[in-house]
Amino acid sequence: MKTLNRITSILLASAIALLALVHAETMLIKGAMVHTLSPGQDKAQRLDILVEDGKIARVAQDLGNASADWTIEAKGKVVTPGIIAPLTSLGLVEIGAASGTNDAAVADITVGPSFDPVAAFNPKSTLIPFNRAGGVTTALVTPGSSDKIFTGKSFVVNLTGSFDSVESRNVAQLVYFGERGSAVAGGSRAQTLAKVRDAISEAREYAANRAAIRRGEWRDMAFSINDLEALQPVARGEVPIIAEVHRASDILAVMQLARELNLRLVISGGAEAWMVAPQIAAAGVPVIIDAIDNTPESFSQLGARSDNAALLHKAGVKVVIAGPGFLATHNAYLARQSAGIAVAHGLPHVEALRSLSTNVADVFGIDGGTVAPGKSADLVIWSGDPLELTVFAETVLIDGKQQSLVNRSTRLRDRFLKPKQGHEFGYKF
Amino acid sequence: MFRPSRIAGALALTLGLAGCGGEDKPTNEPQDFSRFDAFPSTYSLQQEQDVLIRSATVLTATGEQLQETDLLLKDGKIAKIGKGLKAGDKALVIDAQGKWVTPGVIDVHSHLGNYPAPSIESSQDGNEITSPNTGQVWAEHSVWTQDPQFALALSGGVTTLQILPGSANLFGGRGVTLKNVPGRRVQDMKFPDAPYGLKMACGENPKRVYGSKGTAPGTRMGNVAGYRQAWIQAEAYKKKWDAYNKGESSDKPDRDLKLETLAGVLAGEILVHNHCYRGEEMAIMMDVAKEFDFKVSTFHHAVEAYKVADLLAENQVCSAMWADWWGFKHEAFDMTEANIAIVDQAGACALIHSDSSVGIQHLNQEVAKAMLAGQRAGFDIPPREAVKWFTLNAAKSLGIEDKTGSIEEGKMADVVIWSGSPFSVYTLAEQVFIDGVLMYDRKDEKRQPHSDFDLGILDAEGERV
Repeated sequence: MKTLNRITSILLASAIALLALVHAETMLIKGAMVHTLSPGQDKAQRLDILVEDGKIARVAQDLGNASADWTIEAKGKVVTPGIIAPLTSLGLVEIGAASGTNDAAVADITVGPSFDPVAAFNPKSTLIPFNRAGGVTTALVTPGSSDKIFTGKSFVVNLTGSFDSVESRNVAQLVYFGERGSAVAGGSRAQTLAKVRDAISEAREYAANRAAIRRGEWRDMAFSINDLEALQPVARGEVPIIAEVHRASDILAVMQLARELNLRLVISGGAEAWMVAPQIAAAGVPVIIDAIDNTPESFSQLGARSDNAALLHKAGVKVVIAGPGFLATHNAYLARQSAGIAVAHGLPHVEALRSLSTNVADVFGIDGGTVAPGKSADLVIWSGDPLELTVFAETVLIDGKQQSLVNRSTRLRDRFLKPKQGHEFGYKF
Repeated sequence: MFRPSRIAGALALTLGLAGCGGEDKPTNEPQDFSRFDAFPSTYSLQQEQDVLIRSATVLTATGEQLQETDLLLKDGKIAKIGKGLKAGDKALVIDAQGKWVTPGVIDVHSHLGNYPAPSIESSQDGNEITSPNTGQVWAEHSVWTQDPQFALALSGGVTTLQILPGSANLFGGRGVTLKNVPGRRVQDMKFPDAPYGLKMACGENPKRVYGSKGTAPGTRMGNVAGYRQAWIQAEAYKKKWDAYNKGESSDKPDRDLKLETLAGVLAGEILVHNHCYRGEEMAIMMDVAKEFDFKVSTFHHAVEAYKVADLLAENQVCSAMWADWWGFKHEAFDMTEANIAIVDQAGACALIHSDSSVGIQHLNQEVAKAMLAGQRAGFDIPPREAVKWFTLNAAKSLGIEDKTGSIEEGKMADVVIWSGSPFSVYTLAEQVFIDGVLMYDRKDEKRQPHSDFDLGILDAEGERV
């Protein structure tokens, strides 16, 4: 009996897997209100979406006759691009206070900008299915450091949980300025700026004299060869630096430095960014904010306010909304709530949606972020307004494939909804 | 709530003065372990203008959602609930058509004032990390009343909050319940006659803090030994005072601040607020409470409360939970978003809490997410029920449910007018009344408090933001 059951279930599982493969070919999502988030398309429209080979093939008002292996009737539902979470440690941390499960930060004084945590990425982390169920399809993973200004290479992953989920490597270099940068650099913000200037200058010196330096026929360099190599795309302005900085005067100083050194700049934190919004807009620098945090948590964040996102957008700044505070990784999807709160404080609804996907894709060169032909079919079908608290992701597609929305939170819920009594509780029914 | 101590204290003082005796004699009164006369509340908010809120959707937190309903706030109390209510000429009349009204938001777990903003080296006043039992410390003595975060919490509808010591110790000290009003001193904010709380902590924090110093406790079993040893001492202390007060012993015991707080728990005056994540640890703590014949009011950060929901119901212990926080430590790994709903549906007292200066501003939203998780689990939990998770059940946890936490005639007029459903992300608290007084008005800058800290700090001539 047992064996039979097992065979049956294996057969069933194979059949399902086969079906899934077949179904993955073409898919039609019909009748949803779609936020394409494409330039100029600021309102949701009733559209059909045809997905072929993992890409969005067609988007039109009525694709009624399009042939598809699988059709999802989505009338009354809302479709957006999948959420792209910026600034996470997904796959690099399981439990914050369990050091063996943490690979995001190094305290190694020999490794700076060349630290590349991608090799530590664990797609089987429980955080991945949980955030996927919250509508996150892609994430930027950034390292941290306890004693370096340059923290290392950030990379992009999808949230399929498969072993090939790394999408791109070395897409940004997170750099600490402001209070954290000052602490790492020896106690003054000014020193942080000076050290970054020195690093870029040394990287350029290295580029111009690579052979001699590698042969040891040059002055001693402050950075290792690996770090100098890692700084090359940064120094060439190809890989952006994500500058963690809050205070308005610090933001101006960092922008001045980036201009002087010809660096591509993304500001992260930016509690007081609204105070210098016109300058940020003029420089074309995007800002990643924790939109729910309006507390003057430090003397660098005295100007923190709930309408930061709205004021920045109004001034013409591209805004990205990250997950909240220390939950930005485990609960990266909660950026939705923060975006909703930003709307309550004046950010246009469509811009809030863009701050969760389109703008992240633009800033880091990620495929996705709009519902448009040719883009990866990373899509979420929501039960209603995606920013609302009582709305949830009903269907999540990554590269056109429907993803499981089961995760430890739902598994634990289901076990304890009707817990078996006594000693039977630990057995699967 | 049985509270003889205030009267007893006042009486003793009067008699002492009149008789010029001042001689200590057995009182035949229970010992005053709470010590309400030390640092007494000077809270003095007085409603002078009647308030009539018209045509609101009212979530009473007693299980009802009333449509197009009026509320009359008078003399600090909810005077009338009904339709077509009238008020005098001088009353403040608010047209709340399309608005929603709930009781004031209550947060049972806050560190505002003892971990204030900005967070700097010298402002870390929430954890007396010097001994596993610091029952002698009182959180109110750390409260910096000018923490700018009180006003932020008010703009999120918070009218009452408990400030607790941190969780480094097995016994962290006394918590204090405040009304969210500006005050020069913490006494101005103290919720009149609210019982004191005793902060206890299970699990990782105490064992890590002390174990890493090579002192007890270093394990979870060490934690439990620490609680039991302390309760044995507290029992003996209480017994000595009881014997003395009954005249059975003529030796007046020496006061001990630490044991006084614990004895207050044994006497049923002080409520235990127990930081405890894990189901098994909650089960152990409920047995510790039985062993020493006291009650745990509430498990805080009860991430695994859903695993022991039936036990919590049976023992009548509240659980204060987050909607979805998890994973920052091992004991927070087994999170389910349906936690609050499962606990609630098991018939136990379930509530939200923040432990966060950001979260405290959005407790209604946290409840909205928890309500959704409950609905997705198959429970019928409408807003009129879920609202209790940020109001009445929090009041129960603090032992003030007879005074505030619901919209019922005769209760304190602690009321929030929301721009829409409090379960929408777009909704903001528009007006917040505490004891009938308009303490916050989103549309009137003059009715938005600013702490001393906020003045002239980013703008010499203005306020912080």
